[in-house]
Amino acid sequence: MKKRILVVDDEEGLRLLYKEELEDEGWDVELAASGEESLDKLEKDSIDLVLLDIKMPGMDGVEVLRRVKEKWKDLPVILCTAYPHYKHDFGTWASDAYITKSSDLTELKQTIRDILGKKP
Amino acid sequence: MEYDIIEQVSELAVSGSPLEEKLEKAAALLADYLAFDGCAVLLLDENGYMRSVAAKCPEALPPYRLGQGVPGLAFTGGALIEVHKEAGDVAWEGIEDSGLEGYRTALAYPLREKERTCGVLFLRARAKVRLTLLKRQILKLAAMQLLILVKSSEVLNDHHRVYSELLEMQQKLVNSEKLLALGDMAATMAHEIRNPLLSIGGYAARLKRQLPPGSPGLGYLEQMGAEIGRIEKIMNGIIRFLKDNAVELKTDDLHCMIDEAMELFADEIAVHCIKVDRRSSGGPLPVLADREQMKIAFDNLIANAIQSMEKGGILILETSRAGEFAVAKVSDTGGGIDPKYMGYIFNPFFTTKKHGTGLGLPIANSIIMRHKGTIEVRNEGHGAAFIIKLPVAGAAAPNSSRHETGEAV
Repeated sequence: MKKRILVVDDEEGLRLLYKEELEDEGWDVELAASGEESLDKLEKDSIDLVLLDIKMPGMDGVEVLRRVKEKWKDLPVILCTAYPHYKHDFGTWASDAYITKSSDLTELKQTIRDILGKKP
Repeated sequence: MEYDIIEQVSELAVSGSPLEEKLEKAAALLADYLAFDGCAVLLLDENGYMRSVAAKCPEALPPYRLGQGVPGLAFTGGALIEVHKEAGDVAWEGIEDSGLEGYRTALAYPLREKERTCGVLFLRARAKVRLTLLKRQILKLAAMQLLILVKSSEVLNDHHRVYSELLEMQQKLVNSEKLLALGDMAATMAHEIRNPLLSIGGYAARLKRQLPPGSPGLGYLEQMGAEIGRIEKIMNGIIRFLKDNAVELKTDDLHCMIDEAMELFADEIAVHCIKVDRRSSGGPLPVLADREQMKIAFDNLIANAIQSMEKGGILILETSRAGEFAVAKVSDTGGGIDPKYMGYIFNPFFTTKKHGTGLGLPIANSIIMRHKGTIEVRNEGHGAAFIIKLPVAGAAAPNSSRHETGEAV
C-alpha cells in the first residue's frame, strides 16, 4: 500500500503543485488548506508523513506541530517555510526535518524519501 | 551721568545681537566715553594669537601674540598696563609695539575671571590721556561687563553645540526606526512574492519535464526557471537580512573579514585598473561579530568604492586598533561624496547611481549597528572614507559580559 502524505499549506497553487509532484514520485497525497483542517484529516485518515507550512492564517504551523506531536508522537513532520530564523524557535525543534521553501523540489523529495524509505 | 556708559553696555548685553556686534558697539561707547581714538577687544584664538573681534580703530591692529606688545603683556601679566609717550620719546616705556605708531597713550585691561584671562580691552589715543580715578573704576566695571558678555556667549555656543548634537542623534534614531519599518515591509513583501513565485517556478519545472525532447519550449522554460531562481535568491536575501534575524556573534579577526570580503572583487579590481593598498596593524583584531553579516557590510562598502573609481584609482583598506575599538577603514580616490548628499547616504533608497538600489549603505549601517559598532563617512584625500568601529573582544575574555566588567573597573 502506498504511503500517504498530508500537505498543509494555505496557498492553493502550492498545494496542487506538491500534490502533482509527490504523486509523480509515487506517494499518495492528501491536502489541507489550514492548520485546523489538517488536524481533522489526521483524525479521519491514516497519514504517514505531514508536510507543514509554518506561516498560515489562523493556527500556524508551529502550533499544528505541537498538537500533532502530542497526539501522534511518532508521525514524521517536515516543516517548510520562507523564514530560516524559525530554526531558532524552540517550538520547531520537534519536527523531523526543516526545509526552506523553494521552487526546486529536489531537496524536499529527497527528505521525504529519507524519512519514509526508498519505496513508497 | 558718569554711569550712563555702564547702563548702555548693560543694555547691549541683554540685546539679541551677535557677540561681535555687541563687542563692537561696547568698544565704540568706551572709546567715546574715555576720549580715546580707538578701542578694541582682543580674544585669544586657538592658534595662540590675540584675535581682534571688535575695534573702533582707524587702522588694523598688528597680529599680537601672547606676551607681545601692550595687549599681549597685559594678557600674560593679568593686570592693567598703561603707557605714555612724550613727543620726543622713541620707545614706549621699554615696550615694543608696532601697533602704536602715531599714538601717545596706550592702555590694556585684561578681561579676567579668577585666574583665567580670556581677552584684553585695548585702548589707544593720539593725545596724551590720563584717566581720572572715577573713569578707571568705570573702565574696570565695563571690562567686567565685557567679560560676562564673552562668557555668556561661550555658554550659549556650548548650548547650541550640544543641542545640534542632540538633533543629530535624534535624526540617527529616526533613521534607524525608518530602517526597522522598512525591514518589516520588505520581509512581508518578500514573503508575499515568494509563495506565488514558488508555484510559477514549480509548474515551469513540471512543464519542462512534460515537453518532448527537442521542443523549442524547453529553452524558454529553462530560462524561466533560472530567472525565478534568481528572484528567489534575492527574496531569501531580503528575508535573511531584515526579519529580526539576530546576529550570531563569535570572536573573529577583523583583518580576516576584510581580506575575505576583498576576495570577491579580484576581477572587478583588475578590470578597472584599481590598485589595492592594504594596511593593517600587526596582531589579530578580535571582535565579536557575525562573520557572514560583516562580510556583507564590507562587500557593500568595497563595491561602492570600486564603483566610484571606474577609470582606476587606489582602494585603501586599513585595519587597526584604537583603544577599545577595532577600526576598519575603506577609502577610495573616486572624488568623494558631494557634501550636499552627505546627510542622506545612509537613508534607504537614496542613491546617486543610475542603477543603484539605495540599499547598500543602509544595510551596511544596520549590520554594523547590530554589532554595537559605528560607521562614519567623510571626504578625505581624493575620495570618500568609511570608518567602521567595532568593540574589541577582550583577548583573554571572548565573551562580552566579562569584557564590560573589565571596562568598569
